[in-house]
Amino acid sequence: MDLKSTLIFLAIALPLLGSPLVALLGRRLGPRVGWVALAFPVISTASLLWLSTLLDLPGSRQVVEWRWVPSLGLNLTFLLDGFSLFFALIVAGMGCLVIFYAIFYNGDDFRHAGRFYSYLVLFMAAMLGTVFSNHLILLYAFWELTSVASFLLIGFLHGDPRSRIGARQALLVTASTGLVMFTGLLLLEQIAGSANLSMLLSTGLPWSEHGPMLTVAMALIMIGAFGKSAQFPFQFWLPNAMTAPTPVSAYLHSATMVKLGVFLSGRFFPLFVESDLWVPLLGVIGFTTMALGALLALLSHDLKAILAYSSVSQLGYLIGYYGFGPAGGVSYDYLHILNHVFYKGSLFMIVGIVAHATGIRDIRQLGGLFRRLPVLGVTALIATAAMAGLPLTTGFLSKEMVLKEIFETFGKHGALGGYAAVCVVAGSVMKVAFSTRLFVNIFLGEKPGKVRKNFHDPGLWMVLPPLFLSGCALVFGIVPHWLDVPLRYLSQQPTAEGLALWHGFTLELAVSTLIVALGFGLYGIGHYTAWRWHHIPNFLRFDRLFERGVEGIFVLAKKVTRLLRADAPVDYLPIMIAFLIAVVGSGVIWGFQQEHALSVDWTEVRPLRVLAAGLIALALIGVLFLRQWTAQLISLSVAGFFTCFYFVLYRAPDLALTQILIEAVTLFMVLLLLARFPRSAQTGEETPWPWPRQIFHGVLALGVGVLATTLILTARSHDDRLGTHILEQSVPLAHGTNAVNTMLVDFRAFDTMGEVTVLLIATLGCLGLLMRYKRTPEEYRRGALKSPSYQMKGRDKG
Amino acid sequence: MIHGPQSFFFQTVIRFLFFVINLLAVYLLVRGHNHPGGGFIAGLATAISIVLLGLVTGLRELHGVMRIDPVRIAATGVATAFLTGLGPLLFNRPFLEQFTLHYENLPLLGSVHVGTPLLFDLGVYLVVVGVTCKILLVLSQSSQQLRVLIEDEKAFYSLPMEEPIEEELVRDDERWNRGIPEPRLALPAPETPLTPPTDPR
Repeated sequence: MDLKSTLIFLAIALPLLGSPLVALLGRRLGPRVGWVALAFPVISTASLLWLSTLLDLPGSRQVVEWRWVPSLGLNLTFLLDGFSLFFALIVAGMGCLVIFYAIFYNGDDFRHAGRFYSYLVLFMAAMLGTVFSNHLILLYAFWELTSVASFLLIGFLHGDPRSRIGARQALLVTASTGLVMFTGLLLLEQIAGSANLSMLLSTGLPWSEHGPMLTVAMALIMIGAFGKSAQFPFQFWLPNAMTAPTPVSAYLHSATMVKLGVFLSGRFFPLFVESDLWVPLLGVIGFTTMALGALLALLSHDLKAILAYSSVSQLGYLIGYYGFGPAGGVSYDYLHILNHVFYKGSLFMIVGIVAHATGIRDIRQLGGLFRRLPVLGVTALIATAAMAGLPLTTGFLSKEMVLKEIFETFGKHGALGGYAAVCVVAGSVMKVAFSTRLFVNIFLGEKPGKVRKNFHDPGLWMVLPPLFLSGCALVFGIVPHWLDVPLRYLSQQPTAEGLALWHGFTLELAVSTLIVALGFGLYGIGHYTAWRWHHIPNFLRFDRLFERGVEGIFVLAKKVTRLLRADAPVDYLPIMIAFLIAVVGSGVIWGFQQEHALSVDWTEVRPLRVLAAGLIALALIGVLFLRQWTAQLISLSVAGFFTCFYFVLYRAPDLALTQILIEAVTLFMVLLLLARFPRSAQTGEETPWPWPRQIFHGVLALGVGVLATTLILTARSHDDRLGTHILEQSVPLAHGTNAVNTMLVDFRAFDTMGEVTVLLIATLGCLGLLMRYKRTPEEYRRGALKSPSYQMKGRDKG
Repeated sequence: MIHGPQSFFFQTVIRFLFFVINLLAVYLLVRGHNHPGGGFIAGLATAISIVLLGLVTGLRELHGVMRIDPVRIAATGVATAFLTGLGPLLFNRPFLEQFTLHYENLPLLGSVHVGTPLLFDLGVYLVVVGVTCKILLVLSQSSQQLRVLIEDEKAFYSLPMEEPIEEELVRDDERWNRGIPEPRLALPAPETPLTPPTDPR
């Protein structure tokens, strides 16, 4: 392996392999396992930084390939360029900060540390895999892995029903939109003839030939991106995902996972930008989401919900930004993304600390924390200033660029551009308002009694990661050209002009000032009216609609089940058999019309076989005429044992042995089952029209018999190359003379492997079903069984 | 139901048969690669012998005799088969390639062919023994009005949150008959406007 492959291995595969290890170590080390987990993102970050010096950046694009199943054309290929490295560095770097923060956030009495950090490390590996994937299918696999990791992390406190609902919503939305994306990716692969991203990026897509189909593929892929990035109309899952522990929210639901939709838009931007649908699709969805998200953030009261909706809003902007990008490429996407990571990661961690210190997450019940937590207050001030886009922060640079792009390029898109501009300005005004509210209502003013009573000092270590992020926002905001260097290095578009704090008295500055003034005004109105009008109206609560839909599935299933009478499976049998006779029978008749020949040599009659067949028939007649269940069953078994005899006549001792043993086991099992029924069940229930029914059943049985006989008589031995091959090669290749066994353990060993695994899984499922036993009266008096409770003490109650 | 007759004769015969059947099973397993037999057949034979033993000793006592959960036996079997498959990978050969050693003219045994197929078959054997035993034993327990799973097993095989299926059905039917809609899952409560903690003015 060369150096680049080794570094990629260290960055992606090491955490992937290390994740179960962390879970195992968690049992022994307890909460200290966090420090072990911290090693993985640190190693990843270091190797990614090293890797970035090895590529000829900016502008180069390289592929690293590991052979996996070369015979199937499946290789693990990774695409290394500035874009993937930028995202990967954010993922790994935030991973370091978040795990460090989580160690102090969770404290020393954290009971499920192994599980928690294991999921976090797994998530990081999946994220890194997604951003580096070069093969579309590989991209999809990692993409869904992030959904699964996110599901596990959101549902981490699964004693809480809201946590479970949030996790289910997130999984259903992201995984189902992911499936839609998978369809799109497959379509893209079919049309373009390659699933190789680097190849697609260098050759482009055949828009002129396959325009409509490519548009469909693009729309499907972008639906996946919208689901993951919580874009309209999927915006509802993200706030409900905030039931996760705060480090998870800071990592997954602000900085990294929800950015995957943005990543996908940016990744496919050079391919899809030629489409006519690209601009309207991304523009409408993205900017609508931006305005809607900001409005919902303004109307929320829960700290994490405010931040979640503001993330939705920012992601909407980023996606719309890619939508409106000029064909040559977008210039300042990295700046906007990085800015969002700085302030949103910081704010989530701050909110976590506030909830940790006071146990309150409702913004209306907080206040006056600045004196108690001055360092945190300053950190929060910087972060909220960056969110509002005030000068001396990266937020200001970002907003200047946003406005500049609006004035320069949005005009080209006509009415859509105007709509986007209105959305951006409205969103920004609301953003200023809720940023102000966030800071003022938490840190300034009177301290309510509840805060005073619950407060405990969270300690300084926890403040370090948000302080670092806010510090970045501040330093790069004051000295923008320090940010220029790394961004240009990683940039796909090295021509972008440098960042500067002061552009002179421009239109952007004026509009920016106006936005800030309006935002403060909006805050003032809210403050004056004591936020009485603040709650999210029902028609914007898409999550309720979604939950109602999910419940509807259960209701529908139950109705259908009742309609089909699943509690009376006996009624199914005649239908199934009639169907079989109709379908197979018509096939046989059709076959007769083609060729007329019976394949059986009637001249040869062997007395021993006739005897065995006769005995079988006799036993079966016994089944028909015996009255007792047990007697019927034993008679049926006798027929089975005579079948063994028949196998012996055909010189198949293996089959005969198996048949005897299976027969014995089945007999025993059915006897056991019959023992569960009361004796009165033997007479059966009263059924309407007993005689016509019996005649109908008899006719069906005869039909099956006739059909089977016809099939046997007309069967023709097909070309049996495989059989002879195995018989011939059994000794030379598999070193065994029993062909049945060599086939099972050697030629088709992989199948056998799968079969025994399925056997085990089926048994476990069976046990789970049998577990639903009838409880004794004493157990009922003891009440319902308790659900396993993994609530942590005193934190993250919401 | 099937709690065998308590006669001394029956008990002794079954205990003797237990060893005979298992001897046969081992024989079938070992010769399987070259003669009729193999892991599946041998596994069924052993499972039958264990169930027969259960008839004699009684099911509760059988747990004491076996001391190990049959599902664990099955899981060991899957692991054995899988590890046998993984072995060749160490020598850069494909997954599940089988190797055989040939010894000719050994004293007493004659020529012997031993190889990884036997190990793989051993895995199959263990799976079949475990799965068949578990299902049969659990079913016989339930038909004797015994608890299906012992307390320790509940945590492994089932959700403790579940309630008995009969109860659930009865309640559903009642609700259905009265035309009451299905219960909703609890959603987060809507954010109700609170009076602010401090008056702004």
